[in-house]
Amino acid sequence: MEPQLRRRFVPTREIGVFLLLVLILVVFRVLFPVSWERFATFDNFASVVRNMAFECILALGMMLMLIGGTFDLSVGATASMVGVVTGWLMKHAGWPVPAAIAGGLALAALSGFANGVVVAKVRVNALITTLGTMGIFSGIALLVGGPGITFLPPSFTQLGQTQFLGLQAPVWLVIFLGAVGHYGFAHTRFFRQFYYIGSNAKAAHLSGINVERLQIIAFTLVGLFAGLAGIVYASRVATASSTVGMGKELGAITACILGGASLQGGRGTAWGALLGVLFVAVIQNMLLIKQVRPEWQGIILGLVLVFAVAIDSVLNRKQQR
Amino acid sequence: MREIRKTFAGIEVLKGVDFTVRAGEVHALCGENGAGKSTLMNILAGVHRPDAGEIVLGGRTHAGFASAHAAQHAGVGIVFQERSLFGPLTVAENIFAGRQPVTRWGMVVRRQLHASAAAVLARVAPDISTEATVADLSPAQQQMVEIAKALSLDAKVMIFDEPTAALTDAETRRLFAVIRQLQSQGTGVVYISHRLEEVFGIADRVTVLKDGAWQGTMPVAETTADDLIRLMVGRDVEKFHYGASEAVQPVLLDVRGLSDPTDTGGGKPMLQDISFHARAGEIVGLAGLAGAGRTETALTLFGARPQGAGEIRLGGNRVSIRSPADAIDAGLGYVSEDRKESGLFLDMSVRRNISAARLAKFGGWFFRDTEESGAARDFVAKLRIACRGVEQDTAHLSGGNQQKVLLARWLLANPRVLIVDEPTRGVDVGAKAEVHQLLRAYARQGHAVVVISSDLPEVLRISDRIYVMRAGRIAGEVSGDGANEETVMRLAARDGKN
Repeated sequence: MEPQLRRRFVPTREIGVFLLLVLILVVFRVLFPVSWERFATFDNFASVVRNMAFECILALGMMLMLIGGTFDLSVGATASMVGVVTGWLMKHAGWPVPAAIAGGLALAALSGFANGVVVAKVRVNALITTLGTMGIFSGIALLVGGPGITFLPPSFTQLGQTQFLGLQAPVWLVIFLGAVGHYGFAHTRFFRQFYYIGSNAKAAHLSGINVERLQIIAFTLVGLFAGLAGIVYASRVATASSTVGMGKELGAITACILGGASLQGGRGTAWGALLGVLFVAVIQNMLLIKQVRPEWQGIILGLVLVFAVAIDSVLNRKQQR
Repeated sequence: MREIRKTFAGIEVLKGVDFTVRAGEVHALCGENGAGKSTLMNILAGVHRPDAGEIVLGGRTHAGFASAHAAQHAGVGIVFQERSLFGPLTVAENIFAGRQPVTRWGMVVRRQLHASAAAVLARVAPDISTEATVADLSPAQQQMVEIAKALSLDAKVMIFDEPTAALTDAETRRLFAVIRQLQSQGTGVVYISHRLEEVFGIADRVTVLKDGAWQGTMPVAETTADDLIRLMVGRDVEKFHYGASEAVQPVLLDVRGLSDPTDTGGGKPMLQDISFHARAGEIVGLAGLAGAGRTETALTLFGARPQGAGEIRLGGNRVSIRSPADAIDAGLGYVSEDRKESGLFLDMSVRRNISAARLAKFGGWFFRDTEESGAARDFVAKLRIACRGVEQDTAHLSGGNQQKVLLARWLLANPRVLIVDEPTRGVDVGAKAEVHQLLRAYARQGHAVVVISSDLPEVLRISDRIYVMRAGRIAGEVSGDGANEETVMRLAARDGKN
C-alpha cells in the first residue's frame, strides 16, 4: 500500500540509548586512551557482564510489569529473601540442592502471586502493596539468614561458577532468558496482551482480555524472576546475603526506563531492558576504572537517566506536531 | 479571524480561513470531522498558534494568542468537545480552577467560591451541587459543569464545540436558553455541531468548512439542511430508511428478566426486569434518556457489570456470562460508548487496535504479524479509514476514523450479536452515513445488531424495532409506522421527569 511510503524513520528509545552508549565509548576512548587500554579487554568485559546478570534478570521481570502499566518495588527484597531461604534450606535444613532451589523458586512465585492477588483482586495500589511486601520480604530475609549464610555447598556454588566460552553460567542464563523474552514479548499472543493492558486497561477488559488474571500472572512471573536472580547470585558468590537486593528494584526500573519503557505502560522490549542494564553497568565500570569516588556514581547516573528520558520526550513531542 | 493557516505534521489543516462573529449573533460552524472546525476554534481560544493570519477581537488585532490564558484574558471562552475537568475535585473548584477567590494570605475563601459557583450553575444546571465531586457526575452533568465554567468567564466570544453530544433533550433546551441569554447580552457565540437540527434551531448564520477551506457563510434562514450537507461532503447524501425485514428470522439474542443484583453493596440496583430480543438480520434500537440504563444493560449483557436475576439466550442456548471474555466466546460484541476512554488503545497502531478483540485468530505462541496487518489493511480499505497506514497510532485520527477503527475491531471479531453504543457520537455526517451502512450490511449477513443512541433521529432511521428504556426498565417497544420521535419520547419520559 502506498501509505507505507510516507513512514519516516522513527528512532526508538532503544536505538537512541544504544547510540548514546556508542558515543560515550568513543568519547572515553578519545579522552582517556590509557584507561581505554584497561577498559577494552575481554576480562573486563566478562566481569562487567558477570556482575550484570543479577540486574538483568530483575530488569526482564520489571519490564513485563512496566509494559502492563504497573511496577513491583518488592523484587529486590524478594531476591534477598529467596536467596537466603534457599541457602538456609540446603545448609541448615539439610535439603538436597535441587530440592532447596525448587523450594526457593516456589517461595518466589508465591510472593509474586501474593502481590498480584492484592493488587488485582483486592485492588490495592501497586505502589503501596509492593512497598509493604518489600518491607515484609526483607524482614524475613534478615530473620532467616541474619546478615547472610556463607559457605554454601560446592554442588550449589558450582552451578553459578561454571564457565563456557569464557563466560559464566549466569551470563548464559541471561542470554537465554533475554532471547526467550524478546521473542515472547514481540511474537506471542500471551505477552502481547500486556501491551494492551498497559495502553488502556479498561479497553483491554472490554476487548475480552482477562486483565485481573494476567496481572496476577505477571506479578507471579516477576517474583519468580526475582527469586531466580537471588539464587543465581548466591550460587555465584557462594554466599546468600540478606541485603543483596536492597535498592535493586529502583535500579531495575531505571534500566527499563532507559531501555524504552514508560511509566504509563504499553511500551518496552526485552532487549531494551538488557540494554538499559548494560548502559548503566558500562558507565559504572568506566567510573570505576577512572577511580571516580563512588559518591559521584549516583549523581552521574541520575543525570544520565533524566537527560536520556528528557531528550526522548522532547523528540517525541516534536514528532507529534 | 482573517486568512488563518495552520499545518500539523506536514498536513495543511487550515488553508486561509476567514471567519467573523458579530456581537449578539450565534454563528454555527459546520463541516465533516477533520474539516478544521476544532483547529480553527482552538486557534481562537489560544490552544494553538496560527502559522499565518490574524485575529481581530473588539478592535484589537492579534497574530494569535500565546496561550489559552491570553485568549481568556482577551475575552474568548470555550466549551471544549473533550472534557477538561479535574475528576477528584468538586464542582465549584472546577468552575473556578486557577481563579479561586483567595484571601490576602492565599487561602481559598470557600464560602465565596461556592456562592459564585452556585450562581453560575443556576443558569445551566441548578440541580448539581457545587460540593459534588466531578468524577461522580454523569457525563451529561460534567458537560454542564464545563459549560458553567466557560460562562463564569463572562467572555466577549463564547465557543461551544459539540456541547450537546452528551446531553439529553431537556438539558439541550436549557443550554439553548443560556445561549439566547448570552446573545441578548451582546456576546458573540460560535456553535459547532454535527446535528443540523440544532444549527437550524439556534444559529443566525452558518459557515461551512471542508478540508480546511472555507465553503461558504450564509444566513440560516436562507439555506436548507440538504444544502449544508452538500457543501460539507461535496456530494449528495442518500437518505436511508429501512422497514422491518419481511421474512421472520430466528431469534439470536433473547434477554429475559435481566436485573441488577439486589445486593450491590450500598448503591441501589438500577436495572429491573429487562426483557427484549433481537433476530438475525435485524437492527434493534435501544432508546431512552441519559441515565435510563441503556449502557448499563449492554455492559451487563457483556459481562462487564454484575448480573442478578434473569437469563440470556444466544441462538437459543442459555449462556452464563461473567466477563467480557465469556461474552465474546458466546458470540457477543460491544462497541463502547466512549471510544477514547474505554474503546481505543490510543498509543497503539491501527493494526493492533483492529486485532484486539480477536487475537486468537492470529496465533498463540507464534503470532502471525503479517496476517494481522493483512486483515487490518483489508478493513482500512473496506471501511475507508483515512490513515497513513496500519502502523499509525490511532491517537491522531479524526473522530470518524477512530470510530471506524473501533467498529473494524468488532467486525473482525465477527460476533453473532453486535451491540453498538453511541455509534456516531462526535462523527461527521459523511462518516455517520457510512457507519449506518456498515451496521446494516452486518445485519444483512445474518447477524443481529443492537444500537444504543441518544441521537433519536439516528435510532429511528436505522432501527427495525425500538425498545425504549426509562429508569432502568423497558418502558415499551415501537416499530414500523408507530415509531417516531413523539412516540419514543413519550415512552422515554412518561413520568414527567423530562
